[in-house]
Amino acid sequence: MTWDPTCVTEELVVNMGPQHPSTHGVLRLILRLDGERVLEVRPDIGFLHSSLEKIAERLDYRQYLPYTDRYDYLCAMANELAYVRAVESLLGVEPTPRCQWIRVMMAEMNRIASHLVYYGALGMDTGATTVFLYCFRERERILQLFEDASGQRLLYHYFRIGGLRNDLPPGFCEGLRSFLDEFPRRVAEYDALLTRNRIFRSRTEGVGYLSPEAALSYGVTGPTLRGSGVSYDLRRAAPYYVYPELEFDVPTRPEGDVMARHLVRQEEMLQSVHLLHQCLDRLPPGEINVKVPRKLKPDPGEIYVRIESPRGELGVYLISDGSEKPYRLHWRAPSFHNLQAYPEMCQGAYVADLVAILGSLDIILGDVDR
Amino acid sequence: MLSFIANWLRDLLTAWFQAWHVPLVFVDILAWIVGGVAILILVMVVALVFIYLERKISGYIQSRLGPERVGPWGIFQTAMDALKLLQKEDIVPAGADKILHTLGPIAFFVVGLLGYLVIPWEEGGTIARMVDAHVGVLYVLAFGSLSVIGILMGGWGSNNKWSLLGALRGAAQMISYEVPMLLAVVCVVLLAGSLSLSTIVDQQKTLGLLSWNLWRPWLWLPVILYLIAATAEVNRTPFDLPEAESELVAGYHTEYSGMKFAFFFLAEYGNFFLVGLIFSVLFLGGWSSPFGYPDPLRIPGVIWLLGKATVTVFFLMWVRWTLPRLRVDQLMSLCWKVLLPVGFLSLLIAGTAALYV
Amino acid sequence: MRKRYGDNLWDLLRILAAGAWSILVGLYITGINLIRPGVCERYPRRDHRPDYQPRPGYRGDFALLSDPERPGGLRCIACLQCQNICPDQCIHITPEGKGKDRHPVQFRIDTGLCQFCWLCVEVCPVAAITMTPDYETATDQPQKLIRDLDTLRERGRNIPEPQRVEPVGCVADGGA
Ligand code: SF4
Ligand code: SF4
Repeated sequence: MTWDPTCVTEELVVNMGPQHPSTHGVLRLILRLDGERVLEVRPDIGFLHSSLEKIAERLDYRQYLPYTDRYDYLCAMANELAYVRAVESLLGVEPTPRCQWIRVMMAEMNRIASHLVYYGALGMDTGATTVFLYCFRERERILQLFEDASGQRLLYHYFRIGGLRNDLPPGFCEGLRSFLDEFPRRVAEYDALLTRNRIFRSRTEGVGYLSPEAALSYGVTGPTLRGSGVSYDLRRAAPYYVYPELEFDVPTRPEGDVMARHLVRQEEMLQSVHLLHQCLDRLPPGEINVKVPRKLKPDPGEIYVRIESPRGELGVYLISDGSEKPYRLHWRAPSFHNLQAYPEMCQGAYVADLVAILGSLDIILGDVDR
Repeated sequence: MLSFIANWLRDLLTAWFQAWHVPLVFVDILAWIVGGVAILILVMVVALVFIYLERKISGYIQSRLGPERVGPWGIFQTAMDALKLLQKEDIVPAGADKILHTLGPIAFFVVGLLGYLVIPWEEGGTIARMVDAHVGVLYVLAFGSLSVIGILMGGWGSNNKWSLLGALRGAAQMISYEVPMLLAVVCVVLLAGSLSLSTIVDQQKTLGLLSWNLWRPWLWLPVILYLIAATAEVNRTPFDLPEAESELVAGYHTEYSGMKFAFFFLAEYGNFFLVGLIFSVLFLGGWSSPFGYPDPLRIPGVIWLLGKATVTVFFLMWVRWTLPRLRVDQLMSLCWKVLLPVGFLSLLIAGTAALYV
Repeated sequence: MRKRYGDNLWDLLRILAAGAWSILVGLYITGINLIRPGVCERYPRRDHRPDYQPRPGYRGDFALLSDPERPGGLRCIACLQCQNICPDQCIHITPEGKGKDRHPVQFRIDTGLCQFCWLCVEVCPVAAITMTPDYETATDQPQKLIRDLDTLRERGRNIPEPQRVEPVGCVADGGA
């Protein structure tokens, strides 16, 4: 049979989402397809907009703190950390050493928990449902520790301006230690089950390429950037709290594909384990809270504070007009910036690659839409 | 046992009909109806049981518990789900092709049933001896590939782009994997020298376990080939692209609800079990006992066959809950660039073996 | 860039073998997990961990602690601080009395609005309001989510002391 040039295939415009099993929330992707090939992707965001920045302007500094948990709900501790640091710097308050250590510990535990969700979700997106539940099994142990410490499983509200809600509960360190001892074995299990699987490798290697230049120009940060070969981690580049005293690697991969980002995150979990071991070894005794005034009225001024959240550079831009309430608060959302590079990564991809690439970006729609 | 019942029934009917002077052709017609209903019930029950098993096994694999609230260990869960689906509203999307939308699940289901006709359930018998199974292998393969029509009808008739994509994927996949599957089966046919499934079983019964085709080294490639191709035929992970829920929502049955969806679902498991049955027939000695012939334990052949098929199905379930899904181009290149050459190779090996061993 | 099949037959065979091996390893892992005991809880039945209770300090349903000496039988002095700090404005208090006799005659918490942030508990000067480890508060009627004075008092009756836990922190164990 010869190819009939008059036979024209039609392009297909499809809405992927906002209700779709693998858009990680309520993202809407407008796809232009040629059969299975993707010609164009346009992300349409805003379905999870919750006006968290505006809410900050009607609440005082303390009251806003629980809202930060709701913003990127998979790493509530990191959000709290960024916000608390911003307010404390505005107030000129320095937390006690013990408080700093505990905050770092919590942030690292949260990083593991968040990466576990990512790991499982990517497995799910590529069709391997089992690894998702294994990851949740291990995440559950971290959540249990969080619950013991803060009283809630997901929206912790554990940090306070000037300190913490309470000290670590008894048994916390032992629980964490036993988790840390077991966890690397579990990661090896996921590695063998998912990462080294031939099918998974062929689904992820060479897919969703993002060049370092493009990554930098889009403002991509976090593991996504490190997967493109740029070794940039705020814990190294602009260290805060006790990170300068801790020893860890910044895993980086040059390939820039889905697999590279995946491996970076996998390695990061192990690095977090390493960090947590050091924290447990060196956790100093002492006070956890410093006295802060009952009414928080920072001097007029503005500040931008950034930390390395599991998704990248999480920044808080805070303007104070000297009153009890922030004049303006802005979140520099890592997921939002990472998502901008998505259409670029999807060039020439198949429909099935779309979900794998989206999974490898590890976006949280609460973070994108705020 | 089955043929005993069938014969008994037939004798009884013949006696009655003779007594009432009814033409004897009605005996045959009645026997066909009884056989058909028997298959229908069998497929329904099998599907329900295997949906339950799948949920339970996937639960245990994923360190969950699986269904466990309805009845002891949750055994009535799938039955309840089927009841629930029965009550559901049957929604036909606006702009759908109503006829195709309705015919799709029915075609899929009926075609799924047909394969059961030629399975040799026990010595000398298919169900009610309805089909002369001298060309059983051909028949099974032919109807296996027909089920793609149901998928296409459903996907096209739904007027939904995801369904359409799923259906086209399904069509491409099932037609392609037909070829390696055929090659794998032909290897067995070559060695058996017959297209009849009963003959293939007969040749594996003498020494029980030891004479199974599975233990012949020159059939190992076909075994693997058949398992892969058959998994692709019934659209299960790693080949579940037509319904890939993380990509295509639910693929070709996105727009189905209620009983039509249940038909798709039941037929899928019916087909799945059929794969297990055929695998047992081709490679695991079918109805013959693994302890030699005649069976020292005197267990009916049906039981052996069902048991072997269950083991096969269990293995495929295990695979499903382990592997990720292939991408559509990889699916095709796996089929045409790997499985097809391997199929020819195994044909060569099997042919040589048939000549010299 | 994409290199899927080897340039020669040997490569191809190697890739196939490695792929098959990785699949076998995967099967082994899921197989192991198949026989490992599951970790799920039979939630409403609780036969996994029958004595599990969230730790004191868990942020569950509310309670007002009682104090028989005070008017109204509650510790609460109706200072309205919790009402004011609540970010969601879900506490509504009607105070009565002056000075030492000040107490709430109505105290409503709309737990449907509440985000269980613990700020009200923290701010209370007399530790009168607390949260219990009771987390089973789901209901199908929104008005049932509103806790009034009587419910809160009833819940607080058996709580001897506020759950203002300031537990002994654990410190560096020196790697031991
Ligand atoms: S827990 Fe928070 S939201 Fe709930 S009533 Fe107390 S202050 Fe308000
Ligand atoms: S519960 Fe505490 S904070 Fe609230 S009004 Fe009563 S005494 Fe004041």
